[in-house]
Amino acid sequence: MAVDDAVREALELEVGVEHVEVLGEVSATLTRRYAAAVGERDPLFHDVAYAQSLGYANVVAPPNFLPGIICWTEGAPYDRLREDGTEGDTHLPGVPAKGVRVMGGGEEMHFTRAVVAGVVVTRRTVLLDVTPRDSRQGPMLVARYADHYLDDTGDELLRSVRTVLLR
Amino acid sequence: MTVHQELRTGSVLAPQTNQTSITQVFRYSAATWNTHRIHYDKEFAIKEGYPDVLVQSHLHGAFLTKYCTDWSGRDAHLMDLSLRVRRFAVAGESLTIVGTVSAVRAGGEGRALVDLALVETRGSDQEICVEGSATIDLPLTWLADGAWS
Repeated sequence: MAVDDAVREALELEVGVEHVEVLGEVSATLTRRYAAAVGERDPLFHDVAYAQSLGYANVVAPPNFLPGIICWTEGAPYDRLREDGTEGDTHLPGVPAKGVRVMGGGEEMHFTRAVVAGVVVTRRTVLLDVTPRDSRQGPMLVARYADHYLDDTGDELLRSVRTVLLR
Repeated sequence: MTVHQELRTGSVLAPQTNQTSITQVFRYSAATWNTHRIHYDKEFAIKEGYPDVLVQSHLHGAFLTKYCTDWSGRDAHLMDLSLRVRRFAVAGESLTIVGTVSAVRAGGEGRALVDLALVETRGSDQEICVEGSATIDLPLTWLADGAWS
């Protein structure tokens, strides 16, 4: 299976539909691991005392941490993973659980405020549009999702528009 | 803070190179719970038409983010970052980012906004992997008079 009219039509039904998900508390371990994985040694991301000396309650996450996390749960059972290994039911509203290959194509991010470990994050996701495109590997769909990440009080932490390539 | 005193539209910033590795790509997938096989299954990557496992698009984004924050410093604020992945990079590539000042604008009181055009190239053939842009809010006092002339 690849992207076809049925996949496109299913996605188009999702355009404009808002999905709200409480992602949970951002742990200091997760933000530190993220910082370590990208090669960040800034003590702001690792050292609580240093972060507190700058007025933060805890270590801070690198700016693109929130959209960088692909899955905020324990993950889907193996029989619900797509052939390419991606989760069949997370963060891609309208994309079939099987048979579609998914790749990141880019992102536009606005960093509203620092993400400090301990914050409970909620994400609002809307599929903005779906555009067919031909590629060397065959037909492709380009889907653009808008994400808003909010803190415990509903204040915005970050907003982004991500481009997802589907084959 | 005087490191940006020479800043003008058109200024080219110092490059920053990230030497990726299979270990880094794995750790990034693990930290972000990214289970896409293209990042850890070489046979799958080859079947998909690539020579090896790929650097994640968000890891490219993290490199661009780090470039901006390393350059701008503690009292600056990275406001916006956009990136478009043009070509893949495989684990083991060295990826070099260069920023060019595309505009210097007035910000809030006592602040300035610096727009950067960002290009990330892969070391093996100097092809562009990622193009991006960023807007950074920083203290006006960091800039020389006439920075936005």
